Amino acid sequence: MTPPRNPTATTSTSTDRAIAPEPIEPVRKAITVNAPQAHAFQVFTDGIDRWWPREHHIGSSPMVRIFLEPHEGGRCYSTQEDGTECDWGSVLAWEPPSRVVFAWQITTDWKFEKDLSKSSEVEMRFIPESSTVTRVELEHRHLERHGAGAPGMRSAIDSPNGWGGMMRLYAAEAER
Amino acid sequence: MKTYYAAQFDAMGDPMRRVIVERLLASPKPVGVLARGLPISRPAVSQHLRVLKAARLVTDRAEGTRRIYAIDPQGFAALRDYLDRFWTDALAAFKQEAESTKPR
Repeated sequence: MTPPRNPTATTSTSTDRAIAPEPIEPVRKAITVNAPQAHAFQVFTDGIDRWWPREHHIGSSPMVRIFLEPHEGGRCYSTQEDGTECDWGSVLAWEPPSRVVFAWQITTDWKFEKDLSKSSEVEMRFIPESSTVTRVELEHRHLERHGAGAPGMRSAIDSPNGWGGMMRLYAAEAER
Repeated sequence: MKTYYAAQFDAMGDPMRRVIVERLLASPKPVGVLARGLPISRPAVSQHLRVLKAARLVTDRAEGTRRIYAIDPQGFAALRDYLDRFWTDALAAFKQEAESTKPR
């Protein structure tokens, strides 16, 4: 059905843009949760609205709810006070209760990125340590893909709603 | 941190430097290749590269007799730092929620 691959073919020019020359070390986190694996998975995904930091969204007005649709290809989005919906990712792998991967489709100037090749991705692994304890591992990788938005860095850091603003919100939250 | 960002703003404020950064995002290049097709002279490209390097947006390394320029991943350190902090906070909140609602 598919044509045979030409083993001498070189990579196409259109794809090399997505591959930054210097990969950035992924952000990796791990925590131990005193809850069963299935529950930990359920709270992280279906229950995302119950714990997600409220200030963290890219919508045009304050966030009302955040959703992660429970299937491969599912949307990750939030609803806002002004009635709009705001996409920020999509589910790339859905393997309850042990693994979920979602694309982080947020540009460096806090807009939705439609192009997956310019988006990073987050893998969550839920590893049972016992029937009541789960180790939760996070890897946020391919950060260099956001480099395609580097020219937007200026506005990202400079604007009141951008980087500086987000960092201030976080500082305020952390010190509360 | 403020002065570091300020240097980046200034560096990226120039449209020709944005073009240079975009070309380097595709792949590392020597100055001759970078200058090809740009409406400015090679010394002018070198001058822009010096500014980008000072702002830690671009690095260079020797390869034989020429210098190869590439995007400096440190220039993206702010993004990584941000996500590092964000996930620490988010996972702590998640743990609290998962543990307070676990089945008995």
